[in-house]
Amino acid sequence: MTTSDAAVALSDSAARQGSRWRPQLSAGYLAIPMLVFLAYFFFYPAIGLLFSSIQTQNSKGIIGPPFTLAHYARLIDVDLYARVFWNTLRISVITSLLATVLAYPVALVMVKSRPMVTRIITLIVIAPLIVSVVVRGYGWQLILANGPKGMLNWILMTLHIVDAPVAILYTEKAVIIGSLHVFFPMMVLPLASALGKIDPNLEDAARMLGAPWWKVFLRVTLPLSMPGFVAGFTLVFSLTAGSFVIPAILGGASAIMLGNLIEQQIFVVYDWPFGAAIALVLVGVVFAVNGFSMWLLEGRRLRRAT
Amino acid sequence: MDERFSGVGAWILYAITTAMMIFIMAPLLLVMAVSVSDSYFVTFPPQGFTLKWYLKVLQDRDFIDAMRLSILLALGTTAGSLLFGVPAAFALVRGNFPGIAAIKGFLLSPLIFPALVTGLALLQVLSKLGSQDARLNLLIGHIVVTSPYVIRTVVTSLQLVDENLEDAARTLGAGRLRTFWRVTLPQIASGVAAGGLFAFMVSFDNYPVTMWLANSEYSPVPLVLMRQLVNVFDPSVPAMSTIIILMALVGVLLLEKLVGLRRALAA
Repeated sequence: MTTSDAAVALSDSAARQGSRWRPQLSAGYLAIPMLVFLAYFFFYPAIGLLFSSIQTQNSKGIIGPPFTLAHYARLIDVDLYARVFWNTLRISVITSLLATVLAYPVALVMVKSRPMVTRIITLIVIAPLIVSVVVRGYGWQLILANGPKGMLNWILMTLHIVDAPVAILYTEKAVIIGSLHVFFPMMVLPLASALGKIDPNLEDAARMLGAPWWKVFLRVTLPLSMPGFVAGFTLVFSLTAGSFVIPAILGGASAIMLGNLIEQQIFVVYDWPFGAAIALVLVGVVFAVNGFSMWLLEGRRLRRAT
Repeated sequence: MDERFSGVGAWILYAITTAMMIFIMAPLLLVMAVSVSDSYFVTFPPQGFTLKWYLKVLQDRDFIDAMRLSILLALGTTAGSLLFGVPAAFALVRGNFPGIAAIKGFLLSPLIFPALVTGLALLQVLSKLGSQDARLNLLIGHIVVTSPYVIRTVVTSLQLVDENLEDAARTLGAGRLRTFWRVTLPQIASGVAAGGLFAFMVSFDNYPVTMWLANSEYSPVPLVLMRQLVNVFDPSVPAMSTIIILMALVGVLLLEKLVGLRRALAA
């Protein structure tokens, strides 16, 4: 048998096998266990929660008809709850904006420095991501502690910048600082990956044509990095809006967020329908922001740079 | 440092970057510094040096039990999410069936769903089912939130596999399982390992799902730490935190060794 004969025989048998065993079709079945698991323990529970939120809980704690939208109305009508809702949105927006402004320089340096510098910055940015949020919140509690024992106050007073300790802990500011710390990597990473994909020749060209550094950034780098910005903003916003630990540790009673309100309604008040309604409002907000950013990415054809 | 940055712009960039690096490190370094403070309350600046708080933590029944529970839970979660996730990733990359994009979206949807709500919804279903064992409930909840990470990393590494090698193995008479085991798996091993490590770390640190499904008998580390934070004011809390930070550091270095951090996270 010559070599070409062998090759024909081989391709022949491959073709035969291909028709007997369809790899594409049968590979699809491998997703079934995961699909069933998620359908039962994720999708079905979410639907269940949706139903609880529009039903009524009787005095025995059993949830059933009549159907009502009263729980959603309560979130809008009761001043205390409405305030928590707006607080959550405000904290999430401010945190995301701050993260954007501060992440751009870090991402730029990360992408355009020597490999060694890139590696160190990446490690410092990512490492805290894997440390428990409780630990990081605790660290900020120690830094921001009201009274002269807090690190920040100790530094400020030792340097005679302030005479009396400043009170940041248990305010919205503390929650924003903590959230920024926890979710900052979620902004840096997509930005860095978008910046890394920009053709350096474009910036060089702008520079050679006489554009100053800030103009190069505003007219070339910034527009081309929009996909990373949109992705990062969406991530930071969604995660901040859904947080529980940071407001619980750093916000105290004055900066309660939706997550804390849900926990209160379920564990303290045992009002499942209302807790479920708040949870679904949170899901709605997160989905709206995600949907909007997808629409931005596709509608404005920012996709090609991601 | 780099010809691309010069002048005022460069100074601003480096100044902000340095400030952010300090911002990121400060709370963790402070926690570590305070954990060896020889004082009965957590104060700044830390005083003296002692390891007695570590000794106290290591003899703390609650903490040891929580540690054991968390490690076992994270191991179980890793195994579970790999068992469900790797075949699913295989199906997504190699499958060719209608609606594959929708199925991918569905499988990854726990990533954008607020984890707090995932846990709450699961609690409602599990308590209706009468599932009383907190350990089992936690395992189910953790697999729900970690499996998308496994699917994502394994999908990325499967896309890099040269299918010709698999075809060659099949042509040469290897069975499907053998081909997967001997040809495909070695090529995606680092992706699978990264996904597994990710699942372990996400499970170990998880709070938003855990807070609903744990009970007083079975409380993982983050919950115990949260409770200590409110009730205990001596440096044993920073000592516990430092132990957690050091464990995370080991995880990060492992991940960096396995696949490189950027790739593991940006996948």
